[in-house]
Amino acid sequence: MAAATGTYEIKNEHGEVINTSTGLSNKKLLMWSFLGSDVMFFGSFIATYLVYRNRSLVGPYPADILDIPITSVSTFVLLMSSLAMVLALSYIQQGRQKMGTFWIFSVVVLGAIFLLFQVYEFNHFGQVGLTPRTNLFGTTFFILTGLHGAHVTLGVLWLIFLGFGSIKGSLRADNAIDLEIAGLYWHFVDIVWIVIFTVIYLISARDVGPPGSVPGLH
Amino acid sequence: MQNWLTSSKLTKLALPVLALAATLFIAACSPEHPQSTFGYAGPVARDQGNLFLLIFWIAVAVFIIVEGGIIYIAFRYRRRDDKIPKQVHGNTKLEITWTIIPSLVVAAIAVPTIIGIWEQQRGAPTDMGDVLEVEAIGHRWWFEFRYPNQEIVTANELHVPTGRPVNVKLSSQDVIHSFWVPKLAGKVDMVPLNDNLVWFIADEPGIYDGQCAEFCGIAHAHMRFRVIAHEEDGFQEWVAGMRTPPVPFEAGSAEAQGELLFATNCKTCHTNDSWRQDAYSLEIQQQESRWNTWLDDIENSRLVSAPNLTHYSQRHFLGSGIKENSRENLIKWITDPDSIKIGTAMQAHAAAYQEREDNKINLSNQEVENIADYLLALEPGDISQLVAPAITGGTPEERGEQLFVSIGCNACHSLDADTTIVGPSLIGIAGRAGTRTSLSADEYLRQSINDPGAFIVDGFTNAMVVPKIPPNQVDDLIAYITTLE
Amino acid sequence: MQTTHPGPSREPISLSFPRIIPRPKSEYGIWSWISTVDHKRIGTLYAVTSFFWFLVGGIEALLMRVQLSQADSTLIDPEMFNQLFTMHGTTMVFLVVMPLSAAFFNWLIPLQIGARDVAFPRLNALSFWIFLFGSLFLNFSWLIGDAPNGGWFGYAPNSHVAFNPTNGMNFWVIGLNILGVASIAAGLNFIVTILNMRAPGMSLTKMPVFTWMTFVTSVLIVLALPVLTVALIQLQVDRLYGTHFYNTAAGGDPVLWQHVFWLFGHPEVYILILPAMGIVSEILPVFSRKPLFGYSFLVFAGVAIGFMGWFVWSHHMFTVGLGPAANSAFAISTMAIAIPTGIKIFNWIGTMWGGSIRFSTAMLFAISFIAMFTIGGLSGVMHASVPSDAQQQDTYFVVAHFHYVLFGGAIMAIFGGIYFWWPKATGYMLSEKLGIINWLIMLIGFNLQFAPQHWLGLDGMPRRIFTYAENMGWENTNMIASAGGFLMAFSVLLFMINVVYSARKRVPAGDDPWDGRTLEWSISSPPPHYNFEKIPNVEHRDDFWFTKHPELIAEYYHDEHSGELTAPSGAQFDEDAADEEDEHAEAHAEEHHGDDEHGHGGIHLPDMSYYPIILAAGLTIVGAGLMTAVPVIIIGTIVLLWGLLGWSFEPVNDPVPDSH
Repeated sequence: MAAATGTYEIKNEHGEVINTSTGLSNKKLLMWSFLGSDVMFFGSFIATYLVYRNRSLVGPYPADILDIPITSVSTFVLLMSSLAMVLALSYIQQGRQKMGTFWIFSVVVLGAIFLLFQVYEFNHFGQVGLTPRTNLFGTTFFILTGLHGAHVTLGVLWLIFLGFGSIKGSLRADNAIDLEIAGLYWHFVDIVWIVIFTVIYLISARDVGPPGSVPGLH
Repeated sequence: MQNWLTSSKLTKLALPVLALAATLFIAACSPEHPQSTFGYAGPVARDQGNLFLLIFWIAVAVFIIVEGGIIYIAFRYRRRDDKIPKQVHGNTKLEITWTIIPSLVVAAIAVPTIIGIWEQQRGAPTDMGDVLEVEAIGHRWWFEFRYPNQEIVTANELHVPTGRPVNVKLSSQDVIHSFWVPKLAGKVDMVPLNDNLVWFIADEPGIYDGQCAEFCGIAHAHMRFRVIAHEEDGFQEWVAGMRTPPVPFEAGSAEAQGELLFATNCKTCHTNDSWRQDAYSLEIQQQESRWNTWLDDIENSRLVSAPNLTHYSQRHFLGSGIKENSRENLIKWITDPDSIKIGTAMQAHAAAYQEREDNKINLSNQEVENIADYLLALEPGDISQLVAPAITGGTPEERGEQLFVSIGCNACHSLDADTTIVGPSLIGIAGRAGTRTSLSADEYLRQSINDPGAFIVDGFTNAMVVPKIPPNQVDDLIAYITTLE
Repeated sequence: MQTTHPGPSREPISLSFPRIIPRPKSEYGIWSWISTVDHKRIGTLYAVTSFFWFLVGGIEALLMRVQLSQADSTLIDPEMFNQLFTMHGTTMVFLVVMPLSAAFFNWLIPLQIGARDVAFPRLNALSFWIFLFGSLFLNFSWLIGDAPNGGWFGYAPNSHVAFNPTNGMNFWVIGLNILGVASIAAGLNFIVTILNMRAPGMSLTKMPVFTWMTFVTSVLIVLALPVLTVALIQLQVDRLYGTHFYNTAAGGDPVLWQHVFWLFGHPEVYILILPAMGIVSEILPVFSRKPLFGYSFLVFAGVAIGFMGWFVWSHHMFTVGLGPAANSAFAISTMAIAIPTGIKIFNWIGTMWGGSIRFSTAMLFAISFIAMFTIGGLSGVMHASVPSDAQQQDTYFVVAHFHYVLFGGAIMAIFGGIYFWWPKATGYMLSEKLGIINWLIMLIGFNLQFAPQHWLGLDGMPRRIFTYAENMGWENTNMIASAGGFLMAFSVLLFMINVVYSARKRVPAGDDPWDGRTLEWSISSPPPHYNFEKIPNVEHRDDFWFTKHPELIAEYYHDEHSGELTAPSGAQFDEDAADEEDEHAEAHAEEHHGDDEHGHGGIHLPDMSYYPIILAAGLTIVGAGLMTAVPVIIIGTIVLLWGLLGWSFEPVNDPVPDSH
């Protein structure tokens, strides 16, 4: 066990050799710890959603307005962006700047498409009468998916920043760690969406209100 | 009180901290401890107190060992020279020992704990006497009490019989409150949308102090109530009284004028005639609609949820149990409620308080006095005027059973063939009734209810009070009585 | 930072971001503090700030004690009283005990693990500035007379806008969310620091217990604070934008708030107490001149407490009506957590057993910690028993319980820690005479205030009542408690006098005034900017102690590890050598602050930066904007982006000296 006797030597982003006790870079360890923190964040919101399933007193209910096919498309787009992320990192690590840049911006574009889908969906729901103030479903749905959207937006901005870095040459094979931790974040946000998609769209698509509540749109 | 004193002696030995001895000395000298958790007045509080004392004595033992150990070791091993002591850094056997011993101790505490939980948290037991069902509703900042089977609504003073389990269904209309009568039972919260149950038995008649124990806003400290325990007779009398209208007031008297003022200024929020036939369901609806009106427009609502004031003169306290219910206090209360209890919804919302700059009531002193006189004259009139509650839903037999209890038939007519209270037991009456007179069983029972004096069973006298019962309810009652085997 | 070797040289990234402000360079004065990224200075900032809030929270407590000292008192109106107890609780938890612990983390963790700074020095500075601004934001509510008034637990729906329309609870939700960001950032930083920056040879099993407890605490912070953030966001959007999370009229469930809040709230209790346990675990061995008894049991118990702390939250809700099954389960889990706690107490006593105990102020505080914490633990078991708790929940019995844990526990230990490490941090001693008087009066005052409160609770006095009637029989007891409160306040005053007095006297402390055991005592007092001239090579637990007493090594390893014993390597150094090296290092430091630092084989420290404070200010302005107007949010966002971008484009170290 290396940690017991000494330290691992790794190179930092400036190409200097530094010693760490685990062999992981500080940045990567920070990101992993942060993601653990974020799990609790989304976990609490998802738990809130589940607690409030079938408890809205007035419509529209999930059964009235959730559109699984459309959201499946946007989910697919987000999944593909994770693939693009893997490719981007791989090219940057190999020092193939142009391919790396291309794939970074692919992630950006796919992320943006996902966000457009979300904007469309929020608008559409607003038009048929579901807002965060309508009922418990509206409240939990918008806040949960909205905060996820905020995470995606942050990721898109971060990747744009890194994409330009790649063009200018400040993001390169020797500091690919910067892209790697952005990638970790991106994959995490992607996985969170899979959970949200499963919980909101697949599991509760037929949900209505409790007995005695006001009927929904259908 | 005696009870409390003995247990406080136990406590006195217990926390051997210097200051506490002084505290307890002073505490024991004080005349009253109305909310002492050691003043057990019923089995639930007693069980809880005994469990506490069990843990307490275990804790005392641990306390003496640990604190004694610390002091002993500190002195025994104080630094005397510059020698470096033996560098002991652990002892696996010792470690395992002091892992296992605490485990056993907490296991010993866990067993009675879990037994207690299952005894106390599943509603009143049915084998400890006839259960009285009550509903308690928390409001900011007072308690509403409903007796669904007797169709009685009252506030801040919960009347119960001794020796019978009382099952209290707890709920809240606004924020979370907590129902706590330390001498009878530990607290259970009143949570909106989440009904809870607490039960207790009061062993002795008396007035037991209760207080809200969950922070609920500005007047939390003033949200108190009382449980008033009567012997069974006294309780039945109170129940009958609550269903009996007051004697009408002489025209032109102060009370009659007060009644008029009350009707125009107070009655939209304060119901005070719950003895009426259909008053119970109406009150529930009204309380709900007052609440919703307030919620719709919190700033400007002229309606608020308010305590029921039926037979107000029977109340011991006003302002949810914070001041004695005297004429003087009542006048002060009506004039300027916040001077007694801050944050009353009445002063903030009722029209009568909105017209003056200083938010006092916009009535003359004389008018306020008239209202006070009226309220203090509200008491049950002649028991023969008792109004049976309107009971709906269920089968005729079920309605009859509820009526039988709510108008107090069971106070005199036993449901045990071998027991006679005042009137004859009604077990098996279906078989006997047809044989007493020329009337059929059904007709005989109807006659006995409407005109008890028409036929008196040998060995009894005509002591029966006749409530006003509409014919359809008499049918229900007969349907029930004839099922008694 | 770490030992660096000259690597392949890289040309600097061209800075495309306009540098509005130059890289800070001042070493003295206020700007050096504002732009500092030195963990020791940040630790000092944390300590000073949170001590200030300690005084504020204490004054709030005294006002309440004055009000309660007599029945039917009208000195303080109920609205004010509600604000006082809400802010007292919030302040003591979030602005005092947590950041005071953070002050110790900052000061000690790099020193104890043999590092030159934390893993992310600028993030560290950011944590402090967010904490400072968040705490000012929260307390700003006092100035507009609208402090939070819904309790530190903010129970819905009492905290909902229908029942609490004033701005107070908005300050509370937004202020705590800002503070949460600071805590999470600090937690992440210390996780990485402890995992990754230990000196060679310092395996996890050789880490000082304080470092261990900091690690467990940081993990708890990182996992528990987001749950609070969620609860606060939910309440915030409810209050400000009319959503329905806790709107009962739309079906929002008040019990959910309690679950979410206490799912955070119970781990939070351990966040408050574990650092204190760590401090005590450092003090006791030093003044007993013995190794900690049962190191592995103690560490394991700390980890177990941190883990089990996640499964006991509903014991705050025994009267909510969760049903007998849930209550039984949580009663058992709560009682179970008493076992590792008991192990710790026995191990601390075991550490003293057979020792050579010196009653320094720090030691007296540490011993009092064990004694007082034991009382709090015992009353805790009484709450764990649900039927017994039904009579105690929300009474002064609970108030007494958690003050025994948090004041008798956490604060006593923190005072012990202050007396213990003060010489290290400042280079001079605090007066022991005044210290012992301070300790004695605090201990007496504390017990005088809180022991009677057990009785008050059992006598039926609920918490959070602004007054009580005369016939309740609570008056005399309350009067005693209030007197105790003032005695405590006096002891804190004595501490401050001690600080001033000692600062004037300046009795030099030397590097190792207590015959310490861990690495921080191996360097000068106060430690140099770069901490360690040479990163130490760690061979043992309490490595510094065995460096001083190599003859004890064999005895120490005798019973368990006799086979593995290896002779200490030549890497260890004796005190004289260390002193020489210190001088050498100071020379280095001079060099370091000169213009040459690039590619130097020696010490490489991060440069100072203004961006953490800018970013923190931006975040706080956004928070204020949420309560006021959109333009404020926009201004805040601009400041925040400025900080973020400036930070991103600013390298940790300037590759070439600034030419300004």
